[in-house]
Amino acid sequence: MPYAADISRNNPSCFLFLVDQSGSMIGALGGQPGLRKDQGAADALNRILDAVSQRCSQGMEVRDYFDAGIITYTTDDAGEPDLGSAFPGTAPDQPFLKIGEIADVARVEDRAVRESDGAGGIVEVNRKFPVWLDPTALFGTPMCAALEAASTALEAWIADHPNSYPPMVINISDGAAGDGDPEPIASRIMDMQTSDGNVLLYNAHLSGMSATPVQFPADESELPPDEYAKSMFRMSSQFPEPVWQLAESMGLPAREGSRGYVFNADMVSLVQFLDIGTRAASDLQ
Amino acid sequence: MVLLQPAREFWLPKAGNRSDEYEDAYSVLYPESLGASPDEMVQSAVADGASESAFAREWANVLTSAFVNRPLDLASVDEASLIEWLELAQDEWHECVPWDRIPWHGEAKARAGAHATLMGLSIRTDSDNDDQLIWHAMAVGDSCLFVIREGRLQESFPLETADQFDNYPSLLSSNRSASDGLWENARVTSGECDSGDVFILASDAIACWILGQLEAGDEPFEVVMGMDDADWSEWVDEQRNAGTMRNDDTTLVIIEIG
Repeated sequence: MPYAADISRNNPSCFLFLVDQSGSMIGALGGQPGLRKDQGAADALNRILDAVSQRCSQGMEVRDYFDAGIITYTTDDAGEPDLGSAFPGTAPDQPFLKIGEIADVARVEDRAVRESDGAGGIVEVNRKFPVWLDPTALFGTPMCAALEAASTALEAWIADHPNSYPPMVINISDGAAGDGDPEPIASRIMDMQTSDGNVLLYNAHLSGMSATPVQFPADESELPPDEYAKSMFRMSSQFPEPVWQLAESMGLPAREGSRGYVFNADMVSLVQFLDIGTRAASDLQ
Repeated sequence: MVLLQPAREFWLPKAGNRSDEYEDAYSVLYPESLGASPDEMVQSAVADGASESAFAREWANVLTSAFVNRPLDLASVDEASLIEWLELAQDEWHECVPWDRIPWHGEAKARAGAHATLMGLSIRTDSDNDDQLIWHAMAVGDSCLFVIREGRLQESFPLETADQFDNYPSLLSSNRSASDGLWENARVTSGECDSGDVFILASDAIACWILGQLEAGDEPFEVVMGMDDADWSEWVDEQRNAGTMRNDDTTLVIIEIG
Protein backbone atom coordinates (compact mmCIF):
# COMPACT_ATOMS: atom_id res chain seq x y z
CA MET A 1 0.00 0.00 0.00
CA PRO A 2 1.45 3.40 -0.90
CA TYR A 3 2.03 6.08 1.75
CA ALA A 4 2.62 3.39 4.35
CA ALA A 5 6.43 3.34 4.64
CA ASP A 6 7.65 3.19 8.21
CA ILE A 7 9.33 6.51 9.03
CA SER A 8 12.51 5.95 11.00
CA ARG A 9 15.97 7.38 11.27
CA ASN A 10 17.16 4.77 8.77
CA ASN A 11 14.28 5.61 6.49
CA PRO A 12 13.40 9.29 7.07
CA SER A 13 10.91 11.34 5.11
CA CYS A 14 11.31 14.98 4.10
CA PHE A 15 9.60 18.35 3.99
CA LEU A 16 10.58 21.01 1.48
CA PHE A 17 9.14 24.50 1.92
CA LEU A 18 9.12 27.06 -0.88
CA VAL A 19 8.55 30.56 0.42
CA ASP A 20 7.61 33.49 -1.78
CA GLN A 21 9.53 36.60 -0.66
CA SER A 22 8.47 38.87 -3.53
CA GLY A 23 7.44 42.49 -3.09
CA SER A 24 3.74 41.74 -3.36
CA MET A 25 3.99 39.71 -0.14
CA ILE A 26 4.22 43.00 1.74
CA GLY A 27 0.47 43.45 1.19
CA ALA A 28 -2.13 42.60 3.75
CA LEU A 29 -3.92 39.27 3.82
CA GLY A 30 -7.45 39.56 2.50
CA GLY A 31 -9.83 40.25 5.34
CA GLN A 32 -6.96 40.69 7.83
CA PRO A 33 -5.72 44.25 7.26
CA GLY A 34 -3.29 44.10 10.18
CA LEU A 35 -1.41 41.04 8.93
CA ARG A 36 1.15 41.24 6.14
CA LYS A 37 1.42 38.20 3.89
CA ASP A 38 5.19 37.88 4.39
CA GLN A 39 4.67 37.92 8.15
CA GLY A 40 1.93 35.30 7.82
CA ALA A 41 4.21 33.10 5.71
CA ALA A 42 7.16 33.34 8.11
CA ASP A 43 4.95 32.72 11.14
CA ALA A 44 3.37 29.66 9.58
CA LEU A 45 6.70 28.22 8.52
CA ASN A 46 8.27 28.75 11.93
CA ARG A 47 5.27 27.19 13.63
CA ILE A 48 5.28 24.20 11.29
CA LEU A 49 9.00 23.52 11.86
CA ASP A 50 8.48 24.03 15.59
CA ALA A 51 5.73 21.40 15.53
CA VAL A 52 7.83 18.92 13.52
CA SER A 53 10.85 19.44 15.81
CA GLN A 54 8.74 18.96 18.91
CA ARG A 55 7.14 15.88 17.47
CA CYS A 56 10.57 14.33 16.90
CA SER A 57 11.86 15.42 20.32
CA GLN A 58 12.39 12.79 22.97
CA GLY A 59 12.94 15.48 25.58
CA MET A 60 16.70 15.99 25.43
CA GLU A 61 17.31 15.10 21.78
CA VAL A 62 15.52 15.28 18.46
CA ARG A 63 15.34 12.05 16.50
CA ASP A 64 16.05 12.50 12.80
CA TYR A 65 12.80 11.15 11.41
CA PHE A 66 12.73 13.94 8.80
CA ASP A 67 14.95 16.07 6.64
CA ALA A 68 13.68 19.55 5.83
CA GLY A 69 14.67 22.42 3.57
CA ILE A 70 13.46 25.98 2.96
CA ILE A 71 13.92 27.51 -0.48
CA THR A 72 13.08 31.22 -0.59
CA TYR A 73 12.34 32.97 -3.87
CA THR A 74 12.47 36.55 -5.07
CA THR A 75 14.35 38.39 -7.81
CA ASP A 76 17.15 40.91 -7.83
CA ASP A 77 16.42 44.49 -8.88
CA ALA A 78 17.04 43.52 -12.51
CA GLY A 79 14.31 40.86 -12.34
CA GLU A 80 16.65 37.85 -12.33
CA PRO A 81 15.63 34.98 -10.00
CA ASP A 82 17.25 35.18 -6.59
CA LEU A 83 16.77 31.90 -4.74
CA GLY A 84 17.89 31.36 -1.15
CA SER A 85 18.21 28.43 1.19
CA ALA A 86 17.35 29.31 4.76
CA PHE A 87 19.44 26.81 6.69
CA PRO A 88 23.15 27.44 7.25
CA GLY A 89 25.49 25.55 4.94
CA THR A 90 22.77 24.67 2.42
CA ALA A 91 21.96 25.86 -1.11
CA PRO A 92 18.72 25.96 -3.15
CA ASP A 93 19.57 22.75 -4.99
CA GLN A 94 20.81 21.11 -1.76
CA PRO A 95 18.56 22.70 0.86
CA PHE A 96 18.17 19.85 3.35
CA LEU A 97 19.30 19.42 6.93
CA LYS A 98 18.22 16.73 9.36
CA ILE A 99 15.50 17.85 11.75
CA GLY A 100 17.89 17.52 14.71
CA GLU A 101 20.32 19.92 13.01
CA ILE A 102 17.43 22.23 12.22
CA ALA A 103 16.37 22.31 15.87
CA ASP A 104 19.95 23.19 16.80
CA VAL A 105 20.17 26.18 14.44
CA ALA A 106 16.88 27.83 15.48
CA ARG A 107 17.05 31.32 16.93
CA VAL A 108 15.07 30.84 20.10
CA GLU A 109 13.11 33.80 21.44
CA ASP A 110 11.50 34.02 24.86
CA ARG A 111 8.00 35.39 24.71
CA ALA A 112 5.53 35.98 27.51
CA VAL A 113 2.36 34.00 26.90
CA ARG A 114 -0.90 34.03 28.83
CA GLU A 115 -2.05 30.51 29.61
CA SER A 116 -4.72 28.86 31.69
CA ASP A 117 -3.43 27.91 35.11
CA GLY A 118 -5.64 24.84 35.05
CA ALA A 119 -7.78 26.20 37.88
CA GLY A 120 -9.87 28.74 36.04
CA GLY A 121 -7.30 31.53 36.13
CA ILE A 122 -4.83 32.97 33.63
CA VAL A 123 -1.10 33.15 34.26
CA GLU A 124 1.65 34.76 32.24
CA VAL A 125 4.52 32.38 31.55
CA ASN A 126 7.66 32.54 29.41
CA ARG A 127 7.67 30.17 26.47
CA LYS A 128 10.39 29.60 23.89
CA PHE A 129 9.65 30.30 20.23
CA PRO A 130 12.09 29.07 17.60
CA VAL A 131 12.63 31.22 14.52
CA TRP A 132 14.24 30.12 11.27
CA LEU A 133 12.76 32.61 8.84
CA ASP A 134 12.10 36.34 9.18
CA PRO A 135 9.60 38.11 6.93
CA THR A 136 10.95 39.86 3.90
CA ALA A 137 9.28 41.10 0.70
CA LEU A 138 11.10 42.54 -2.31
CA PHE A 139 10.90 42.50 -6.11
CA GLY A 140 9.54 39.67 -8.32
CA THR A 141 8.09 36.16 -7.98
CA PRO A 142 10.19 33.53 -9.79
CA MET A 143 8.01 30.59 -8.77
CA CYS A 144 9.07 28.54 -11.79
CA ALA A 145 12.73 28.91 -10.83
CA ALA A 146 11.90 27.89 -7.26
CA LEU A 147 9.99 24.82 -8.44
CA GLU A 148 12.89 23.88 -10.74
CA ALA A 149 15.30 24.11 -7.80
CA ALA A 150 12.90 22.02 -5.74
CA SER A 151 12.76 19.44 -8.50
CA THR A 152 16.58 19.19 -8.57
CA ALA A 153 16.77 18.92 -4.77
CA LEU A 154 14.02 16.28 -4.64
CA GLU A 155 15.60 14.21 -7.39
CA ALA A 156 18.79 13.93 -5.34
CA TRP A 157 16.91 13.26 -2.10
CA ILE A 158 14.80 10.51 -3.67
CA ALA A 159 17.91 8.88 -5.16
CA ASP A 160 19.31 8.70 -1.63
CA HIS A 161 15.99 7.53 -0.10
CA PRO A 162 14.26 5.44 -2.75
CA ASN A 163 11.98 3.61 -0.29
CA SER A 164 11.10 6.45 2.07
CA TYR A 165 7.67 7.93 2.72
CA PRO A 166 7.45 10.39 -0.20
CA PRO A 167 8.67 13.98 0.23
CA MET A 168 6.09 16.63 1.07
CA VAL A 169 6.57 20.01 -0.63
CA ILE A 170 4.76 23.06 0.72
CA ASN A 171 4.69 26.20 -1.43
CA ILE A 172 3.66 29.38 0.40
CA SER A 173 2.88 32.19 -2.05
CA ASP A 174 0.41 34.83 -3.19
CA GLY A 175 0.23 32.87 -6.39
CA ALA A 176 1.35 35.33 -9.04
CA ALA A 177 4.28 33.59 -10.75
CA GLY A 178 6.37 36.18 -12.60
CA ASP A 179 8.55 33.87 -14.66
CA GLY A 180 6.13 31.79 -16.70
CA ASP A 181 3.62 29.00 -16.14
CA PRO A 182 4.53 26.99 -13.03
CA GLU A 183 1.92 24.26 -13.63
CA PRO A 184 4.02 22.00 -15.90
CA ILE A 185 6.91 22.04 -13.40
CA ALA A 186 4.50 21.38 -10.52
CA SER A 187 3.05 18.51 -12.48
CA ARG A 188 6.54 17.07 -13.01
CA ILE A 189 7.23 17.31 -9.26
CA MET A 190 3.95 15.52 -8.46
CA ASP A 191 5.02 12.72 -10.84
CA MET A 192 8.27 12.12 -8.94
CA GLN A 193 8.07 9.13 -6.64
CA THR A 194 9.66 6.79 -4.15
CA SER A 195 8.57 3.16 -3.96
CA ASP A 196 6.00 4.34 -1.38
CA GLY A 197 4.19 6.86 -3.57
CA ASN A 198 4.36 10.15 -5.44
CA VAL A 199 5.76 13.39 -4.08
CA LEU A 200 3.01 15.41 -2.38
CA LEU A 201 2.87 19.08 -3.38
CA TYR A 202 0.74 21.31 -1.16
CA ASN A 203 0.04 25.03 -1.57
CA ALA A 204 -0.74 27.68 1.00
CA HIS A 205 -2.18 30.55 -1.00
CA LEU A 206 -1.99 33.98 0.65
CA SER A 207 -4.15 36.46 -1.17
CA GLY A 208 -5.04 40.10 -0.68
CA MET A 209 -8.47 39.27 -2.03
CA SER A 210 -11.25 39.39 0.54
CA ALA A 211 -12.97 36.04 0.15
CA THR A 212 -14.03 33.27 2.45
CA PRO A 213 -11.03 31.15 3.43
CA VAL A 214 -10.95 27.76 1.73
CA GLN A 215 -9.44 24.60 3.16
CA PHE A 216 -8.73 21.42 1.23
CA PRO A 217 -11.19 21.77 -1.66
CA ALA A 218 -11.89 18.80 -3.92
CA ASP A 219 -13.21 20.81 -6.84
CA GLU A 220 -12.38 24.09 -8.59
CA SER A 221 -15.97 25.22 -8.01
CA GLU A 222 -15.15 25.57 -4.31
CA LEU A 223 -12.50 28.21 -5.04
CA PRO A 224 -12.88 31.99 -4.96
CA PRO A 225 -13.07 33.62 -8.42
CA ASP A 226 -9.32 34.11 -8.78
CA GLU A 227 -7.14 32.80 -11.60
CA TYR A 228 -4.20 32.24 -9.27
CA ALA A 229 -6.38 30.20 -6.92
CA LYS A 230 -7.35 27.90 -9.80
CA SER A 231 -3.77 27.54 -10.90
CA MET A 232 -2.47 26.77 -7.39
CA PHE A 233 -5.33 24.33 -6.85
CA ARG A 234 -4.27 22.42 -9.97
CA MET A 235 -0.69 22.46 -8.66
CA SER A 236 -1.78 20.73 -5.43
CA SER A 237 -1.77 16.97 -4.83
CA GLN A 238 -4.85 15.10 -3.74
CA PHE A 239 -4.46 13.76 -0.22
CA PRO A 240 -3.59 10.05 -0.32
CA GLU A 241 -6.36 7.76 0.94
CA PRO A 242 -4.72 6.92 4.31
CA VAL A 243 -4.38 10.66 4.95
CA TRP A 244 -7.88 11.88 4.13
CA GLN A 245 -9.48 8.91 5.82
CA LEU A 246 -7.68 9.53 9.09
CA ALA A 247 -8.30 13.29 8.77
CA GLU A 248 -12.00 12.73 8.17
CA SER A 249 -12.21 10.43 11.19
CA MET A 250 -10.64 13.22 13.25
CA GLY A 251 -13.33 15.63 12.13
CA LEU A 252 -11.06 17.68 9.85
CA PRO A 253 -12.51 19.17 6.66
CA ALA A 254 -11.09 16.61 4.25
CA ARG A 255 -12.73 13.98 2.08
CA GLU A 256 -11.95 11.83 -0.92
CA GLY A 257 -10.50 14.05 -3.63
CA SER A 258 -9.50 16.87 -1.26
CA ARG A 259 -6.32 18.61 -2.31
CA GLY A 260 -3.55 20.03 -0.16
CA TYR A 261 -4.56 23.61 -0.90
CA VAL A 262 -5.58 26.36 1.49
CA PHE A 263 -6.70 29.88 0.53
CA ASN A 264 -6.12 32.52 3.20
CA ALA A 265 -6.83 29.85 5.80
CA ASP A 266 -4.78 29.02 8.84
CA MET A 267 -1.68 27.58 7.22
CA VAL A 268 -0.82 25.69 10.30
CA SER A 269 -3.84 23.53 9.49
CA LEU A 270 -1.58 22.22 6.73
CA VAL A 271 0.78 20.85 9.32
CA GLN A 272 -2.02 18.68 10.64
CA PHE A 273 -2.04 17.02 7.27
CA LEU A 274 1.70 16.59 7.17
CA ASP A 275 1.39 15.13 10.61
CA ILE A 276 -1.55 12.89 9.79
CA GLY A 277 0.16 11.65 6.67
CA THR A 278 3.27 10.65 8.50
CA ARG A 279 1.43 9.47 11.56
CA ALA A 280 -0.72 7.12 9.51
CA ALA A 281 2.48 5.68 8.12
CA SER A 282 4.56 5.41 11.20
CA ASP A 283 4.15 3.58 14.40
CA LEU A 284 5.35 5.83 17.15
CA GLN A 285 4.04 3.97 20.13
CA MET B 1 6.37 -24.49 49.74
CA VAL B 2 7.57 -24.49 46.14
CA LEU B 3 11.05 -23.68 44.95
CA LEU B 4 11.24 -21.29 42.02
CA GLN B 5 13.23 -21.60 38.84
CA PRO B 6 15.19 -18.41 38.18
CA ALA B 7 13.05 -15.93 36.24
CA ARG B 8 14.14 -15.40 32.66
CA GLU B 9 14.09 -11.97 31.07
CA PHE B 10 14.52 -11.05 27.43
CA TRP B 11 14.49 -7.61 25.81
CA LEU B 12 15.40 -6.02 22.50
CA PRO B 13 14.98 -2.44 21.25
CA LYS B 14 13.10 -1.65 18.06
CA ALA B 15 15.34 -2.36 15.04
CA GLY B 16 17.11 0.87 14.10
CA ASN B 17 17.19 2.13 17.69
CA ARG B 18 20.12 2.05 20.10
CA SER B 19 19.87 -0.01 23.28
CA ASP B 20 19.73 3.22 25.32
CA GLU B 21 16.62 4.12 23.35
CA TYR B 22 14.74 1.02 24.52
CA GLU B 23 11.56 2.42 26.11
CA ASP B 24 10.03 -0.75 27.49
CA ALA B 25 11.03 -1.63 31.04
CA TYR B 26 10.73 -4.68 33.26
CA SER B 27 11.39 -5.52 36.91
CA VAL B 28 11.29 -8.81 38.79
CA LEU B 29 11.46 -9.35 42.54
CA TYR B 30 12.01 -13.00 43.04
CA PRO B 31 12.46 -15.08 46.20
CA GLU B 32 14.02 -18.53 46.04
CA SER B 33 10.79 -20.14 47.20
CA LEU B 34 7.15 -19.33 47.72
CA GLY B 35 4.75 -20.47 50.41
CA ALA B 36 7.05 -20.81 53.43
CA SER B 37 6.06 -17.40 54.72
CA PRO B 38 3.24 -15.02 53.80
CA ASP B 39 5.80 -12.30 53.13
CA GLU B 40 7.36 -14.20 50.28
CA MET B 41 6.02 -12.99 46.99
CA VAL B 42 6.93 -12.78 43.36
CA GLN B 43 6.46 -9.29 41.98
CA SER B 44 7.03 -8.58 38.31
CA ALA B 45 6.08 -5.81 35.93
CA VAL B 46 6.49 -4.87 32.28
CA ALA B 47 5.86 -1.35 30.98
CA ASP B 48 5.95 0.08 27.47
CA GLY B 49 6.83 3.77 27.26
CA ALA B 50 5.08 5.69 24.48
CA SER B 51 7.83 7.00 22.18
CA GLU B 52 5.73 9.96 21.21
CA SER B 53 6.04 11.35 24.73
CA ALA B 54 9.27 12.67 26.27
CA PHE B 55 11.13 10.89 29.06
CA ALA B 56 8.98 7.80 28.43
CA ARG B 57 11.87 5.44 29.13
CA GLU B 58 12.27 7.00 32.58
CA TRP B 59 8.53 6.69 33.23
CA ALA B 60 8.41 3.02 32.20
CA ASN B 61 11.36 2.32 34.53
CA VAL B 62 9.77 4.23 37.42
CA LEU B 63 6.52 2.30 37.02
CA THR B 64 8.03 -1.20 36.92
CA SER B 65 10.41 -0.45 39.74
CA ALA B 66 7.60 1.03 41.86
CA PHE B 67 5.40 -1.98 41.18
CA VAL B 68 7.92 -4.50 42.52
CA ASN B 69 9.42 -2.43 45.32
CA ARG B 70 6.33 -0.71 46.63
CA PRO B 71 3.68 -3.38 46.02
CA LEU B 72 0.09 -2.42 45.53
CA ASP B 73 -2.23 -4.86 47.26
CA LEU B 74 -3.98 -6.05 44.12
CA ALA B 75 -6.44 -8.12 46.16
CA SER B 76 -8.03 -4.94 47.45
CA VAL B 77 -6.87 -2.24 45.02
CA ASP B 78 -9.41 0.48 44.31
CA GLU B 79 -9.33 3.86 42.62
CA ALA B 80 -8.07 5.72 45.70
CA SER B 81 -5.23 3.30 46.45
CA LEU B 82 -4.18 3.16 42.81
CA ILE B 83 -4.07 6.96 42.59
CA GLU B 84 -2.10 7.18 45.83
CA TRP B 85 0.39 4.62 44.53
CA LEU B 86 0.62 6.33 41.15
CA GLU B 87 1.17 9.79 42.62
CA LEU B 88 4.35 8.63 44.35
CA ALA B 89 5.55 7.23 41.02
CA GLN B 90 4.66 10.52 39.31
CA ASP B 91 6.76 12.37 41.89
CA GLU B 92 9.68 10.01 41.19
CA TRP B 93 9.38 10.69 37.47
CA HIS B 94 9.39 14.45 38.04
CA GLU B 95 12.62 14.02 39.99
CA CYS B 96 14.16 12.06 37.09
CA VAL B 97 13.57 14.82 34.54
CA PRO B 98 16.41 17.37 34.22
CA TRP B 99 13.98 20.28 34.02
CA ASP B 100 16.66 22.99 33.94
CA ARG B 101 18.51 21.41 31.01
CA ILE B 102 15.65 20.58 28.64
CA PRO B 103 16.12 22.16 25.19
CA TRP B 104 13.30 24.28 23.75
CA HIS B 105 11.95 21.44 21.61
CA GLY B 106 11.47 19.15 24.61
CA GLU B 107 9.80 21.63 26.95
CA ALA B 108 6.17 21.26 25.89
CA LYS B 109 6.36 17.48 25.69
CA ALA B 110 8.01 17.25 29.09
CA ARG B 111 5.32 19.47 30.59
CA ALA B 112 2.69 17.26 28.97
CA GLY B 113 4.21 14.26 30.76
CA ALA B 114 5.27 10.79 29.71
CA HIS B 115 2.96 7.87 29.01
CA ALA B 116 3.36 4.13 29.40
CA THR B 117 1.42 0.89 29.67
CA LEU B 118 1.85 -1.29 32.74
CA MET B 119 1.35 -5.00 33.38
CA GLY B 120 1.99 -6.00 36.98
CA LEU B 121 1.89 -9.50 38.46
CA SER B 122 1.97 -10.55 42.09
CA ILE B 123 2.12 -14.19 43.32
CA ARG B 124 1.96 -15.13 47.00
CA THR B 125 0.27 -17.39 49.55
CA ASP B 126 -3.49 -17.07 49.67
CA SER B 127 -4.32 -15.19 52.87
CA ASP B 128 -7.33 -17.49 53.37
CA ASN B 129 -5.46 -20.74 52.76
CA ASP B 130 -1.79 -21.21 53.63
CA ASP B 131 -1.51 -24.17 51.30
CA GLN B 132 -2.63 -22.31 48.20
CA LEU B 133 -0.67 -19.86 46.08
CA ILE B 134 -2.67 -17.12 44.41
CA TRP B 135 -1.80 -14.61 41.70
CA HIS B 136 -3.15 -11.15 41.01
CA ALA B 137 -2.51 -9.00 37.96
CA MET B 138 -3.24 -5.42 36.98
CA ALA B 139 -3.06 -4.03 33.47
CA VAL B 140 -3.32 -0.61 31.90
CA GLY B 141 -2.85 -0.85 28.14
CA ASP B 142 -1.68 -3.68 25.93
CA SER B 143 1.24 -5.23 27.78
CA CYS B 144 -0.02 -8.75 28.49
CA LEU B 145 0.13 -11.68 30.90
CA PHE B 146 -0.19 -15.29 29.78
CA VAL B 147 -0.76 -17.99 32.38
CA ILE B 148 0.13 -21.48 31.18
CA ARG B 149 -0.79 -24.71 32.91
CA GLU B 150 0.42 -28.05 31.62
CA GLY B 151 1.48 -26.42 28.40
CA ARG B 152 -1.93 -24.92 27.69
CA LEU B 153 -3.06 -21.31 27.87
CA GLN B 154 -5.06 -20.79 31.04
CA GLU B 155 -5.47 -17.03 30.89
CA SER B 156 -4.62 -14.24 28.44
CA PHE B 157 -4.90 -10.85 30.10
CA PRO B 158 -6.02 -8.16 29.38
CA LEU B 159 -6.15 -8.82 25.62
CA GLU B 160 -7.29 -12.16 24.25
CA THR B 161 -7.01 -11.89 20.48
CA ALA B 162 -4.36 -10.52 18.13
CA ASP B 163 -6.82 -8.13 16.49
CA GLN B 164 -7.35 -6.30 19.81
CA PHE B 165 -3.94 -4.63 19.48
CA ASP B 166 -4.03 -1.16 17.94
CA ASN B 167 -1.99 2.01 18.15
CA TYR B 168 -4.10 3.54 20.89
CA PRO B 169 -3.67 1.51 24.07
CA SER B 170 -4.68 2.93 27.44
CA LEU B 171 -1.70 4.58 29.10
CA LEU B 172 -0.63 5.77 32.51
CA SER B 173 0.43 9.43 32.55
CA SER B 174 3.27 10.82 34.61
CA ASN B 175 1.16 13.95 35.19
CA ARG B 176 -1.36 14.06 37.99
CA SER B 177 -3.61 16.32 35.99
CA ALA B 178 -3.95 13.60 33.32
CA SER B 179 -5.18 10.85 35.62
CA ASP B 180 -8.85 11.21 34.71
CA GLY B 181 -10.27 7.87 33.63
CA LEU B 182 -7.41 6.03 35.27
CA TRP B 183 -9.58 3.55 37.12
CA GLU B 184 -11.78 2.91 34.07
CA ASN B 185 -8.65 1.97 32.12
CA ALA B 186 -7.21 -0.31 34.80
CA ARG B 187 -8.03 -4.01 34.62
CA VAL B 188 -7.50 -6.36 37.57
CA THR B 189 -7.77 -10.13 37.66
CA SER B 190 -6.59 -13.07 39.75
CA GLY B 191 -6.42 -16.85 39.93
CA GLU B 192 -5.02 -19.79 41.84
CA CYS B 193 -1.46 -20.79 41.14
CA ASP B 194 -0.31 -24.42 41.08
CA SER B 195 3.14 -25.89 41.03
CA GLY B 196 4.27 -26.09 37.41
CA ASP B 197 2.35 -23.02 36.28
CA VAL B 198 4.20 -20.62 34.00
CA PHE B 199 3.59 -16.86 33.89
CA ILE B 200 4.71 -14.86 30.86
CA LEU B 201 4.69 -11.06 30.84
CA ALA B 202 5.06 -9.56 27.39
CA SER B 203 5.03 -6.12 25.80
CA ASP B 204 2.68 -5.64 22.87
CA ALA B 205 4.69 -6.76 19.85
CA ILE B 206 5.52 -10.22 21.19
CA ALA B 207 2.17 -10.53 23.00
CA CYS B 208 0.42 -9.95 19.68
CA TRP B 209 2.76 -12.47 18.04
CA ILE B 210 1.91 -15.08 20.71
CA LEU B 211 -1.84 -14.64 20.22
CA GLY B 212 -1.47 -14.67 16.43
CA GLN B 213 0.46 -17.94 16.59
CA LEU B 214 -2.15 -19.49 18.87
CA GLU B 215 -4.91 -18.41 16.51
CA ALA B 216 -3.00 -20.03 13.63
CA GLY B 217 -2.84 -23.31 15.58
CA ASP B 218 0.89 -23.04 16.32
CA GLU B 219 2.66 -23.55 19.65
CA PRO B 220 4.17 -20.18 20.63
CA PHE B 221 4.73 -21.17 24.26
CA GLU B 222 7.01 -24.02 23.23
CA VAL B 223 9.03 -21.47 21.29
CA VAL B 224 9.30 -18.81 23.99
CA MET B 225 9.82 -21.22 26.89
CA GLY B 226 12.62 -22.89 24.98
CA MET B 227 14.20 -19.50 24.26
CA ASP B 228 17.89 -19.18 24.92
CA ASP B 229 19.66 -15.89 25.64
CA ALA B 230 22.02 -16.53 22.74
CA ASP B 231 19.18 -17.03 20.26
CA TRP B 232 16.81 -14.28 21.36
CA SER B 233 17.96 -11.32 19.25
CA GLU B 234 18.32 -13.36 16.10
CA TRP B 235 14.94 -14.98 16.63
CA VAL B 236 13.16 -11.64 17.13
CA ASP B 237 14.89 -10.23 14.04
CA GLU B 238 13.67 -13.21 12.03
CA GLN B 239 10.08 -12.63 13.11
CA ARG B 240 10.34 -8.91 12.36
CA ASN B 241 11.85 -9.53 8.95
CA ALA B 242 9.21 -12.13 8.17
CA GLY B 243 6.54 -9.58 9.06
CA THR B 244 5.04 -11.80 11.77
CA MET B 245 6.17 -9.52 14.64
CA ARG B 246 5.87 -5.74 14.63
CA ASN B 247 9.16 -3.84 14.77
CA ASP B 248 8.89 -2.39 18.25
CA ASP B 249 10.68 -2.60 21.58
CA THR B 250 10.18 -6.22 22.64
CA THR B 251 10.15 -7.58 26.19
CA LEU B 252 9.44 -11.00 27.67
CA VAL B 253 9.62 -12.16 31.30
CA ILE B 254 9.10 -15.89 32.07
CA ILE B 255 8.34 -17.05 35.60
CA GLU B 256 8.08 -20.78 36.31
CA ILE B 257 6.58 -21.96 39.59
CA GLY B 258 8.17 -25.11 41.00
